[in-house]
Amino acid sequence: MIKAGQIEKGTALLIKGQPFIVVDREFVNPGKGSAFVRLKLKSPSTGQVLQETMKSQDNAEDIVVADRDCQYLYNDGESFHLMLTDTFEQIEVPMATFPDYEFLMKDGETYRCTFWESQLLEIQIPPKVVYLVAEAEEAVKGDTVQGATKYVTTETGLKVRVPIFIKQGEKIRVNTETREYIERVNN
Amino acid sequence: MRDAARFRSRMMRHIRSFFDERSYLEVDTPILSPTLIPESTIENFATRFDNPFLPSQELYLVPSPEVYMKRLIADGWGSLYQISHCFRNSEQVGANHNPEFTMLEYYTVEADEQDSILITEELFAALADKDTPDHLRPPFSHLTVAEATWVNTGIDLEDHQRQISLAAEARRLGLSVPDERESWQETFNRIFLTFVEPNLPQEKPLVLDRYPAQIECLAMQEGAWRRRWELYGGGVELANCYNEERRLQKIEGYYSNEYARLIEKRSRNGMPIPDIDVDFARIIAAMPPVSGVAMGLDRLQMLLMGRQSLDEVLLFPLSRILGDTGG
Repeated sequence: MIKAGQIEKGTALLIKGQPFIVVDREFVNPGKGSAFVRLKLKSPSTGQVLQETMKSQDNAEDIVVADRDCQYLYNDGESFHLMLTDTFEQIEVPMATFPDYEFLMKDGETYRCTFWESQLLEIQIPPKVVYLVAEAEEAVKGDTVQGATKYVTTETGLKVRVPIFIKQGEKIRVNTETREYIERVNN
Repeated sequence: MRDAARFRSRMMRHIRSFFDERSYLEVDTPILSPTLIPESTIENFATRFDNPFLPSQELYLVPSPEVYMKRLIADGWGSLYQISHCFRNSEQVGANHNPEFTMLEYYTVEADEQDSILITEELFAALADKDTPDHLRPPFSHLTVAEATWVNTGIDLEDHQRQISLAAEARRLGLSVPDERESWQETFNRIFLTFVEPNLPQEKPLVLDRYPAQIECLAMQEGAWRRRWELYGGGVELANCYNEERRLQKIEGYYSNEYARLIEKRSRNGMPIPDIDVDFARIIAAMPPVSGVAMGLDRLQMLLMGRQSLDEVLLFPLSRILGDTGG
């Protein structure tokens, strides 16, 4: 148990028996009233977003989570298949739990994963990742407008808007949160 | 930061000429006081006056200048205003909070809280220029707490005047209300802070009017409500207005209930327990009809300048003075 006043962004809580991760926390003092904590929580298993307001003195049920390394093997269109690198145990999670992660994760790559007991709560994609440009349209000849952009597709299938000079076979760094192009990476 | 300092200097001049033109007297009352008006939800800063010839005495940094201004109003000084530094302890230091802040407080005699809406609207019109964001330009929009609650939650507060029934509504909306007994106002605040306040319309400054009577304060009660409003700009609370209570019995009732709550709470959290002056109830009761507004000027400046955080307008915010350890 922790006091609601001690909850931070990233704290894992059990709410009505379901694990939730705190994605946003704000202290609020109503004009006349005791101190409250306004929380935005996300369920890692369903993606459900929950709003909750607690008095700083309220008790909340926190849960202990642990990070473990998992290698991403493949997806079968329904589930992601991962392997715990320490025990070689294979796990399967519905793709719907982590929408769009199939475009961000690379086959064979190892990711830090957050577990509560045996339940996978989060796959931690690094904030910046280098991808290979698998498909790129040719730049239209004569198109020299400053800031002109086009779409490319990475080896993971992620569509990214990039400057017009990026070519197939080159590497680019991408912000995985906003899915935006950051820079070209030279070998 | 120099542009912020220049903006502030100009804003202060506009505010002063606004009230001077309307014959309000500007006063300058002390920041230290030996007694405060009891407010259990506002934590205080205490300090001590040491004098070799007299016993030491605890003094408090005022959370609002009202403790002095109300004396002058009761003495028949007419409409007053003051710009002063105020202090609130134990609040989060962040985008909208600094423990030391600048408050504009104005009292209009022979006026009620509806008159104060018009005066405040005129003040905003006087402060607006071509760069003022739309959500700070008059006219103000207006909602009662009952309307805002109904629109956002489907709860008719008049139908749920008992805590048990309001708590059932809160649970229906998915909130976890602990089983231990809590006050009606605490349950109300859970609902208000989760579903109502974040969804208040933000296109125009908003007067949120008539708060539930269960939220005890020195604003006049009328049935289930109190004649009191708060002003929101861009979703940020900017000002608070009371039609000041003047019935001695009501004021004395507030003093004893609120002081009991204050002592109960502070003996738990170890914060300073300010002295109160029970005779002050008589002083307040002697005031002419009066409506008082307290407005946070740092927040107002932040919003008028289109900034996101007090750090962008305060020259020395506490978070910067203390470094990262200041929270």
